[in-house]
Amino acid sequence: MKKNIVLLTSIYLISFWVQAQNSIDFKEVTLDNGLHVIMHKDNSTPIVAVSVLYHVGSKNEKPDRTGFAHFFEHLLFEGTENIGRGEYMNKIQAIGGTLNAFTSSDITYYYEIVPSNYLETALYMESERMLHPKIDQIGVDTQRDVIKEEKRQSYDNRPYGTILPETMKRAFSEHPYRWTPIGSMEDLDAARLEEFIDFHKSFYVPNNATLTIAGDIDYAQAEAWARAYFEDIPAGPDDFFRPDVKEPVKMSEIRDVIYDNVQIPAIIQAYNLPPKNHPDSYALEMLSTYLTGGNSSLMTKELVDKQQKALGVQAIPLDLEDGGVFIMYALTNMGVDPVELESEIDKLLNDVRTNGISERDFQKLQNIIENDLVSKNSSMEGLAQNLAEAHVFYGGTNYVNEELDYFRKVKREDIQRVAEKYINLDGRVVLYYLPKSAQSE
Amino acid sequence: MKKLLIYIFPLLLLQPVLAQVDRSTYPEPGPAPEIELGDAASFTLENGLKVFVVENRKLPRVAFSLIFDRDPILEKDKAGMLNIFGEMIMGGTENRSKDMLDEEIDFIGASLSASSTSLFASSLKKNQDKILELMTDVLYNPTFPQEELEKLKKQAITGLAASKDDPNAISGRLTAALNYGKDHPYGETQTEATIQAITVADIKNYYDTYFKPNIGYLAIVGDITEEEAESLVKKHFQSWEKEEVPVHSYPIPGGPDQNKVALVDRPASVQTVVNITYPLVMNTNHPDFMTTRLLNYILGGGASSRLFMNLREDKGYTYGAYSSIGSDKLVTSFSARASVNQAATDSAVHEFLVEIEKMVKEGVTEQELVAAKANLSGSFGRSLESPSTIASFAINTQRYGLPEDFYATYLQRLNAVTVEQVNAAAKKYLKPENVYITAVGNAKEIEEKLKRFGEVSKYTNMADPEREIDVSNLTLSAPDVIDAYLEAIGGIEAAEKIKTAKTTMSADVQGNTLKMISIQDEKNQILVQRVLMMGNEVSKTVLKDGKATVSGMGQSQTLPDEQFEYLKMSMWIVPELHYETMGYTLASDGVKDVNGETAYRVLVTNPTGGEIANYYSTETGLKIKSEDSITGVITYGQYEPYDGVLLPVELSLESPMVPFPLAFKVDELSVNTEINAEETN
Repeated sequence: MKKNIVLLTSIYLISFWVQAQNSIDFKEVTLDNGLHVIMHKDNSTPIVAVSVLYHVGSKNEKPDRTGFAHFFEHLLFEGTENIGRGEYMNKIQAIGGTLNAFTSSDITYYYEIVPSNYLETALYMESERMLHPKIDQIGVDTQRDVIKEEKRQSYDNRPYGTILPETMKRAFSEHPYRWTPIGSMEDLDAARLEEFIDFHKSFYVPNNATLTIAGDIDYAQAEAWARAYFEDIPAGPDDFFRPDVKEPVKMSEIRDVIYDNVQIPAIIQAYNLPPKNHPDSYALEMLSTYLTGGNSSLMTKELVDKQQKALGVQAIPLDLEDGGVFIMYALTNMGVDPVELESEIDKLLNDVRTNGISERDFQKLQNIIENDLVSKNSSMEGLAQNLAEAHVFYGGTNYVNEELDYFRKVKREDIQRVAEKYINLDGRVVLYYLPKSAQSE
Repeated sequence: MKKLLIYIFPLLLLQPVLAQVDRSTYPEPGPAPEIELGDAASFTLENGLKVFVVENRKLPRVAFSLIFDRDPILEKDKAGMLNIFGEMIMGGTENRSKDMLDEEIDFIGASLSASSTSLFASSLKKNQDKILELMTDVLYNPTFPQEELEKLKKQAITGLAASKDDPNAISGRLTAALNYGKDHPYGETQTEATIQAITVADIKNYYDTYFKPNIGYLAIVGDITEEEAESLVKKHFQSWEKEEVPVHSYPIPGGPDQNKVALVDRPASVQTVVNITYPLVMNTNHPDFMTTRLLNYILGGGASSRLFMNLREDKGYTYGAYSSIGSDKLVTSFSARASVNQAATDSAVHEFLVEIEKMVKEGVTEQELVAAKANLSGSFGRSLESPSTIASFAINTQRYGLPEDFYATYLQRLNAVTVEQVNAAAKKYLKPENVYITAVGNAKEIEEKLKRFGEVSKYTNMADPEREIDVSNLTLSAPDVIDAYLEAIGGIEAAEKIKTAKTTMSADVQGNTLKMISIQDEKNQILVQRVLMMGNEVSKTVLKDGKATVSGMGQSQTLPDEQFEYLKMSMWIVPELHYETMGYTLASDGVKDVNGETAYRVLVTNPTGGEIANYYSTETGLKIKSEDSITGVITYGQYEPYDGVLLPVELSLESPMVPFPLAFKVDELSVNTEINAEETN
């Protein structure tokens, strides 16, 4: 691979970083009840994205009541005091909009994209579910069944579906990241209606939320409506339960085999990461791109193309507020012993740790990152989420305009440094997913 | 409510009084915004390439997408070729090896990808010349290297193996085969054999035949003016030579004359993947296109549609239930599907059918239609956020021979559809009595329950029909089956006389020879098994002195008790002789089909719980297959006599670690010969 590099021209090196990101304009205000409102105006398409980010995820749950945040993601579609059961989704779709939500370990995020003349409707509806959602036994019972099927569909019945929960429960021994948002069905079965209502009161309040409005809007009108619908929602108590747990550094490797309904063995390695807003996160992101981003990346070229030991390999920095995990995920090619593939992965990881990366590879990484950042905010849906996360996780909404600067601060040596520091082969989790084989019932 | 007032009260004192909003009803919407369709500039080169340019300067990037419009192709014994073509054409050019190509694309942070009918490139504006150079190099000068083909075949076969355990992939294969037939481009199934049969010549031939400008559409979208695009296109695409491309036609498959249930047993399933489906003809240019979009939306197009509201929000049977009515130049299908709670499989199927029937009989309401129109208008409006939408509108207009104003009048025509039209479409296109009800799940739990919907046919995970077996005369108990086997190989007396065996067998692995040499010595309780790849020892297993050791690649490991017990089962030359004395338990597990041969399945469990399933032919009594979770599946072919006892001389091994069968043939086998001490070290 190295020798080809000489053949390539160096013209592209010159233009590096010349292209500035288009600056993203926005306005923001914090209402008296603590709700933070972010607005972005773009009149090119007559649509508007409205989202509410609640700063609550599975890490805010009690160990014997896991799955609550995700449960709420479902429950808050059930209706409010003024919006009938089942009507929430119907209404948004019937005005030509689309809606969805997700729950992570850190946040719960609701959004809808509607024709811009329905902005007020969308704000009314989001305010309704913040003010007085209907949380009753019928909704709880139905959604409990739905979530069980979701778990079966997305985890139990899907080959390799349990990788994330199996990894997290080993990567974390103390921190609530040890369970994933889907949680435990036993906990959901055991929970009583009052507990759900209490959970809602503690977290789904304006002072724990960020409202984002992005698209075909008028700033003054959007703000006036946001105030009209949200300002009278009472703030909740400010003592949000945020786990203050320092995950102890692992001194020895945790290694396990999971027999699953799969045909192809998979290898998963997980390395604990610093908090997502840590300055090293940028170098770690670049490291993952160096390892598996693109066909010319180190591991794809070596393990998939050359040695053909892997069917595919991926490095995924799963960054979380209190520090997530850097996951290496590889599927073996036919007839390859996973032990053999893993030793090649380790060899390449050790190579980066010992020798770092070349100047040319570093320039390639910078080019890829620049391209990614330019494309990152191309849709109102994506931009709304990036604005909200900038505010909640990165100390200010203007982070969306500063992200490239943080990547620019990364030096070539930093890639090796973070590899040495975090990709610690002695304190990692390694899982093998192996076939149960031709089922003997 | 009281509680809330207490919260609000003190707040009110502190804040200026706000204009109160009325929360009891939805706010009135503003005036509907004008939906403006941007224009695509277009021109055609002399070679027939049609070009469309959409300028959008919001972001400093440009995308070039080239698609070829050809008839579907029936691949037959080369099924799978089209799937790997895209990666083959990216496998290197006359000017660049694959490594160089990959590096040059990644270095500018761009992307370049291909399929059997497309090439797609995108990059930042500043790199547009470079990415076009790379794209056209791939388009005009691909080399299709043999080693790349070998790699892709290996990956495809590995992927196929993985898909055999994926319930959604199994369901997809099954419904395609049922709807269109396995001899149709949309229904054929790729197998290990068809993938293995693909050659570089096939790939080249496809490229030479179909990658022609006269069936090509090139869309250029992004930070680029029409003039600039035109001069780039002239420079890069003008000298591309046109050539006539063959056309193909296929019979249009009809649906079943009555409801049929098709089941694939996946014993590991904890949910059932249900898909109710049948083929139908529908395309963008069809007069009922718009009405069927609305009809489907109301039935199961979204999260407020009837299927979702019934099966998920009301019954909680599933995480999501949806339907679709496809659109395709040739033929497409209706489909209603969900992954459902296993215990509720039949209830879910029932509800699906009820909803479809109800739609046919009662039709839709005005309110539902208004909501469906708003939803489809909304997604039309949202799609315009991406500049590439305008380019695809322009391409579709030409490709499908649509009226020039098809997209300009889309919303108007959508809004003109009446309840009567949708109801007529429901009667015409929904056929609740002519559907395939397909299910992938645990047959033990669901097969009986599905019988109420029609005749149940069972299929394999490759969508082939499972053979039906008449079991009325096949009633031997497990010990009787073992006795019949021992009788068949020459009788207990003869079998007991065989005390040692030395076997050498070999299999071909992609042109290389894999050899397995084993020594079984029952008297001294010794088993030695060596595996050699091209003459080099890869692994050696020794069971001796009450322990088992596996060594290979410089490492050596003593096996734990369970694995020792497991291996011990292989030490016996005729293990069936020892089942009783070794304390193994036997259980009969019905009669199964093994590659067309009927066999008793007997479960053999050793004292530490290890389990092997053996299959004995009901006709010859011989063992024809055995499977367990460690070795995988062994299929026994021919047997030959040694000292009056039949031993297998052909066997095929399907290991979970090797997704294609290893076909072993015995080169040498000698029984009751002396074993030297060196041979067992």
